[in-house]
Amino acid sequence: MKWAPMLAKLRLFGRLALIRPRFTTGYVIVVIVAILAILAPVIAPFSPTEADSLSFLQPPSGVHVFGTDNVGMDIFSRAIYAPRIDLTIAILGTGLSALLGGSFGALVGFYSSGRGIRVWLSFALMRAADVLQAFPIFVFAIALVASLGQSIQTVVLAIAFVNAPIYLRLMRSQVLSIRSMRYVEASQVNGLSDFQTIIRHVVPNAMGPVLAQLSINVGWGIVLTAALSFVGAGVRAPTPEWGSMIAMGFQNVVTGQWWPSMFPGVMLAVTVFGFSLVGSSIEVLADPAKRRHLLSDVRLRDIARATKTAKRSSLGQV
Amino acid sequence: MSDQFTRMKLGPNRRQFLQTAATAGGAAMLPAPFGMGEAFAQSANDTLVIAAPATPQGLDIEFDVSLGSIDTLGALYEYMLGYEKVEDPNAPGVLREDTSVHADKPNNMALRGRLAEAWEVSPDGRKATFKLREGVVSNWGNHFTSKDVKWTWDRKFNLKGQGLFQTAVLGLTTPDQIKVEGDHAISFNLDKPNPILLKQQCNLANPIYDGTKCAAVGGSDDAWAVNFLKNDSAGFGPYRLTQLVRGQQAVFEARSDYWDTKPAMKRVIMREVPQSASRFSLLQGGAVDIAQFLQPRELEALKSEKNVAVDAVNASYMIWLELNAKIAPFDNVDVRRAVNLAIPRDEIIRTIYYGYADPQTAPMPYIYPMVDKSFFSYNYDLAKAKALLEKAGVGKGFSTTISYNAGDPTQEPIALLIQTSLRQIGVELTLEKLPAGVFYENVTKRAKPMIFYQDSPWTPDPGYSLYLYFNSKSYVNYSNYNNPEVDKLITDGLATLDNAVRLETYTQVQKTLMDEAPWGFIAYPKYTLARKAGLKGFTYYTSNNLRFQDFTRG
Repeated sequence: MKWAPMLAKLRLFGRLALIRPRFTTGYVIVVIVAILAILAPVIAPFSPTEADSLSFLQPPSGVHVFGTDNVGMDIFSRAIYAPRIDLTIAILGTGLSALLGGSFGALVGFYSSGRGIRVWLSFALMRAADVLQAFPIFVFAIALVASLGQSIQTVVLAIAFVNAPIYLRLMRSQVLSIRSMRYVEASQVNGLSDFQTIIRHVVPNAMGPVLAQLSINVGWGIVLTAALSFVGAGVRAPTPEWGSMIAMGFQNVVTGQWWPSMFPGVMLAVTVFGFSLVGSSIEVLADPAKRRHLLSDVRLRDIARATKTAKRSSLGQV
Repeated sequence: MSDQFTRMKLGPNRRQFLQTAATAGGAAMLPAPFGMGEAFAQSANDTLVIAAPATPQGLDIEFDVSLGSIDTLGALYEYMLGYEKVEDPNAPGVLREDTSVHADKPNNMALRGRLAEAWEVSPDGRKATFKLREGVVSNWGNHFTSKDVKWTWDRKFNLKGQGLFQTAVLGLTTPDQIKVEGDHAISFNLDKPNPILLKQQCNLANPIYDGTKCAAVGGSDDAWAVNFLKNDSAGFGPYRLTQLVRGQQAVFEARSDYWDTKPAMKRVIMREVPQSASRFSLLQGGAVDIAQFLQPRELEALKSEKNVAVDAVNASYMIWLELNAKIAPFDNVDVRRAVNLAIPRDEIIRTIYYGYADPQTAPMPYIYPMVDKSFFSYNYDLAKAKALLEKAGVGKGFSTTISYNAGDPTQEPIALLIQTSLRQIGVELTLEKLPAGVFYENVTKRAKPMIFYQDSPWTPDPGYSLYLYFNSKSYVNYSNYNNPEVDKLITDGLATLDNAVRLETYTQVQKTLMDEAPWGFIAYPKYTLARKAGLKGFTYYTSNNLRFQDFTRG
């Protein structure tokens, strides 16, 4: 019995992939990038950080599939090592921002009405978020990196800080509507503390949009990491990272050596695109209305009908 | 003062510049019978357009020695003396200053009079008297007299900017040592003989101001015209400034009342184009006459362009690593030697500079008199480097940081090559990229174990150069090198006019410095100029700057 809902969800997921091929593309991209990142040490034909002055700025060839950069580092090896850094930073940064923003958002949403110090704290937190969001994100990130020093940890922190207000608002708006639900009232009547109520009943039901936002923000995190590295405020050379690779190679384009920046640029764009598509699919999966609309698509009505039973059992829980 | 300064007749604005560039491109494509190309050629013939990385931030050498500023000094100001010019032996058609020792010439130097018509140094070398040129007027119409020279040097004493270094290096301690000997005669009176007294009169940092104008505009509030000279000029040079919009362009106009040969380029437009790739494209497309400071790779790409020429001359530039003698393990001479043995100079010159540099084999510019490259003993040898590390007690290697300037695109790839090389002897380098402003702050703080530095001593003299970088009392001794014997030899050499003694002294200094390796010697980058093929007259100065009056159209 326990497996039935999960199988239903998987079936739904499979149908979704068939109905919207772009979602499938997104998952395929993300999976491929993840595999490349994991298997980079096995796949990469050269060291991603060793300069080789005998083969600098070599165009793409059988030996160097993506060519070499201006100190002879193999671009293919660096490009497939890069997601290890980019994805790690983006996922950690986004996760941290969701944790921070989500936690405070739940508290602010739960205590935003009534009286007392909690209300004032909620108000102060929201205004602080306003200030943070009013600041240009990129400038804020650069300032943070400049003050804390150039390191991977700092970039993670920068991503966490600039994204935290998004989750704060998102979670707050969800909690605002959930907290007046009957089941929340019931839990409190049954003697659960505020904290227990938030953890057990409020947050789980408010997570859908947050999950959708997570994937989109991972994509944005990758872009921000690359942008910071592009301006020299990100990871340190020669750490393989798409933004720094683009920065190192873009000046060569004018003299005809397009490959040092082109390949990492394409990989960066495709990866962000992939995460964006995954985010869209999660958004649909998490929203019953959108999911229903999708499944009632005329071309796939038959498939939808055939899986009606599974859908009914899973609608309220996905 | 406003950041945007405009006076007199306004120069072209951005739109006009683009229109000119577009017209140039279009006109060049038209066949001659249509006449337009010829018409444009006539109007552009006497206009020089330069794509520069920066416009001058300030025009006062006392406080500003940035790239854009030093390129304007030689046009706006005149100097007491200059060097004779000779053909560059390695670059056909290029002239350069003759800075070598000439035993057959007065004071052993090939000097020519500029504002000083004649000069005489006393036999004991402590007094130099200059007879000044008459009939010279400034861009404000004031006649040049000895009072202008006096005002100029008094200003150095009072402002205590970079001029203070100029007075100190000559051994001048009070303004009274510079005496007006008549309307057109002035003398410098020193306590000790100084071999660079005449050379300093050619130094780009010692332009002569129109003291009358400066005193008038400054008044009592600004007696040394600091605010005025930041944005305008008062000198005896061949050009006047007609527009300066920082970050956009500076425009200069040739003076019809200039005392010497009138410049062929009546108007000079210096456009700020920060990206080297953009400057490259502008020159390639024919929109500018000169693209300054292109990357070596871009210079190489321009070689195939018919209408573009690239000049590369041996220069006073040096790029090295400051190995901080007060930070372990670089306080150990064997570690410094090991690092030098592991610097892949040939790879750096081939890969990063595309041949537009030579290996640095001496602790001073290789174009300066008395340089001795024979003491260089750091040809690439990792086995020897490893042995030296073991001798120093760090045979297992060590980790340290190499800091470099984000504003110099060559430094990061050089750092990467050095990192890869040093890794082979167990030295793990962490690369630290510092924004340009922070970088110079870090260099002067002397708190980094290993940091890049590129510089050039402007006076072509071994004593001047060695004092700057290796005397323990010098502000520019960023590697914290301290050897009392070297200090003494350097200062001794700066107090004698006997070239044989100086040669012996500075040879010994160079030998000691090479042995003790206070620097990680890297390269002598060449001074390069990418220009339209028809533009002639480029002259190389040891201060690595342009002088607009040198250029003509061939």
